[in-house]
Amino acid sequence: MMNKVKEVTVERNEGDPVATMPERLTVAASPHEKTRTHVPHLMRDVLIALLPACLFGILWFGPRAALLCGISVLTCILAELLYEKLLRRPVTVRDGSAAVTGLLLAMNLPYTMPIPMLLLADVFAIILVKQIFGGLGKNIVNPALAARVFLFMSFPGAMANFSARPDFGASYTDAVTSATTLTSLKEGLGGSFTITDLFFGTTPGCIGEVSALLLLVGGVYLLCRRVITWHIPVSYLGTVALLTFLIPRTGDRMESMLLELCAGGLLLGAFFMATDYVTSPVTRGGRLIYGVLCGAITVFIRYCGVYAEGVSFAILIGNLLVYYLDRFTRPTPFGKRRGKR
Amino acid sequence: MKHSFRGGIHIREHKNTATCAVIPLKPPARVAIPLSQHIGIPCGPLVAVGDTVKKGQVIGRAEGGLVCPVHSSVSGKVSAIRTRRNIHGMAVTDIVIDNDGQDTWDESIHPLAASPNEATVEEILAATEAAGISGMGGASFPTHAKLRSAIGRVDTLLINCAECEPYITANHRLLLEDPHAVLGGTLLLARVLGLSCGCLVVEDNKPDAIALLRELCQQEYPALTVAVVRTKYPQGDERQLIRAVKGRELPPGKLPADVGCVVFNAETAASVFRAVAYGRPLCERIVTVDGDCVREPNNLLVPIGTPVSDLIAACGGLTEEPARMVSGGPMMGFAIWQEDEPVTKGTSALLLLSKKASAGYEGAHECIRCGRCVGVCPMRLLPNYIAAYTRAGDYENAAANGAMSCVECGSCAYICPAGIPIVQYVRAAKAVLRQKKS
Repeated sequence: MMNKVKEVTVERNEGDPVATMPERLTVAASPHEKTRTHVPHLMRDVLIALLPACLFGILWFGPRAALLCGISVLTCILAELLYEKLLRRPVTVRDGSAAVTGLLLAMNLPYTMPIPMLLLADVFAIILVKQIFGGLGKNIVNPALAARVFLFMSFPGAMANFSARPDFGASYTDAVTSATTLTSLKEGLGGSFTITDLFFGTTPGCIGEVSALLLLVGGVYLLCRRVITWHIPVSYLGTVALLTFLIPRTGDRMESMLLELCAGGLLLGAFFMATDYVTSPVTRGGRLIYGVLCGAITVFIRYCGVYAEGVSFAILIGNLLVYYLDRFTRPTPFGKRRGKR
Repeated sequence: MKHSFRGGIHIREHKNTATCAVIPLKPPARVAIPLSQHIGIPCGPLVAVGDTVKKGQVIGRAEGGLVCPVHSSVSGKVSAIRTRRNIHGMAVTDIVIDNDGQDTWDESIHPLAASPNEATVEEILAATEAAGISGMGGASFPTHAKLRSAIGRVDTLLINCAECEPYITANHRLLLEDPHAVLGGTLLLARVLGLSCGCLVVEDNKPDAIALLRELCQQEYPALTVAVVRTKYPQGDERQLIRAVKGRELPPGKLPADVGCVVFNAETAASVFRAVAYGRPLCERIVTVDGDCVREPNNLLVPIGTPVSDLIAACGGLTEEPARMVSGGPMMGFAIWQEDEPVTKGTSALLLLSKKASAGYEGAHECIRCGRCVGVCPMRLLPNYIAAYTRAGDYENAAANGAMSCVECGSCAYICPAGIPIVQYVRAAKAVLRQKKS
């Protein structure tokens, strides 16, 4: 190799583009190549993953559900835009996070929600929960969840109004409000719907929470696209499954476990809310503990609290502990011995 | 079984030149040979303007342990001795030599009296030092000094053929085209260290090189073995290499010899072989020229000191204006800003990247705490917290999250969807922390 001297001559065809060195070169520190997956791509993937469950909700509950989703997304984007324009901050609506908040919030509401209340909640989420703390990445709790709890506290009646569809399942009895599985379990009446109903979503409930199957599809999509890691959903759902299996609220352990897993906002919460980047831990250990905590609090509230559903509260409490979870699960750096820093 | 480590990233490999046989570069009209190409004391010039020099003649030397003599890579006349800033921003002195095109070798260049198989430890060490060999993977640590410090302290010799950086195929081609130099060099290094075996570590994206090396090891070099590691960045970092092959973790601030290992680059081993067998000093090396702005990406055998513009010309010139010119790989290489920047002993690649191919997303978003940097950090640090604390001026907490343990591999900055220049934050924190310490 070293002795064969062969001169390189390059044949250039007529018309080949020839460039010269530019006047200016970028001189920056490494790395000189970066991923092409940016924040807007991640948010787009979350929206795509939410779509199946959302579309089912619209089909199931009718056009009003679509109206609520559309209004909520637009209001969130508009609120963020106006706030940033007024305060002369860089406009960040293109990152897609406001749209995600809007859609998540709408999917967390019954389709009967009055529109003024929805508008109020959207503004609450974007301005008070997100922007006041500094915008995306700086908020302490999940905006959509905080707004949901805000509505829950302010308008409990509207939030529990799962009515007005006469064809809700065989066990539908109440003319005004339809008992969800969780309220019925709470009252000690056992599950009001079958596991099949809950799995496919043919039950009363919030727009985006009813179809367990399609929420799972969305969750698996996020996992496959590596938008989220398995740690939070698996530890969250695993904890709920274990607790409800060990301490069943209805007769059969297996049935109790599956009912609790499919009912309410658990799947939406575990895949889409608890995994919210900004308000969840970054370490593997932190994510596992966070999931277990959310699961335990969810079951505790469902079993012992005054509310039928505990997912929102559980995740919000988890959000507040994120800094400490990160700090106490800081991994031991490569080559260092455990305990020594 | 394939060895690996936890964390790291899978990057687009861009190994476009894997099938490009190494071609000797057309002799450059002029070379500028830096007197400081290694870590340690810079050399002083031994020649003056107007002197005639021959190929392989020593033109720079210094006294001390951490030193590598510098040789002329062409024969010709010294036309200037100049000082300029190199890619690291340091002031260096170059000896500029006008090539007479004769390639007249210096009379002092001769093979050892003994054959390489009979060379003694002292002879190998002396030949390595005289040939001016420093690590050719990029860090440029003087090889004889590394050898001396490792004698009697190590039980494992690893030859780093991982080549985990995208684009670069220089080591891959060397393994295919001149495997005997690498294997022979490995035997010499093992003999110096008093070891009976050595191990070549190759990433699994080079199946042809693995097959060839395995065959040769079986037939002619029974003392040597081949270890296959998974293709993942930064597999070629010696810490990750040792972890993957030997399962030992090198504590921060320690040298591989502290855990009984020593690692040399494949081309370094080949250079040691050529120094001992032929008496050849290190005055040329293989450089991969690639990037989306180069017409014909190629592997070139380049005399040390050749300006990068000659390499570009030899590869057919540019097809579009590059936004960045990089010496080394895209992950840890250094940006070049001068067209006449010379190739040094540590230059493994020259990349010409368009704006599209190179990073262009800095500072686009705030950190969204997605935790991807934490997932990929091979050193198990919390890069997002280091960056955030550094930005806030809280260097104590940056250190608590591992700033000083960072090897600056750039995995975190690569993967960051918000485009945060995390490595720069870490470097800033390190500089302040070092200053505070001293």
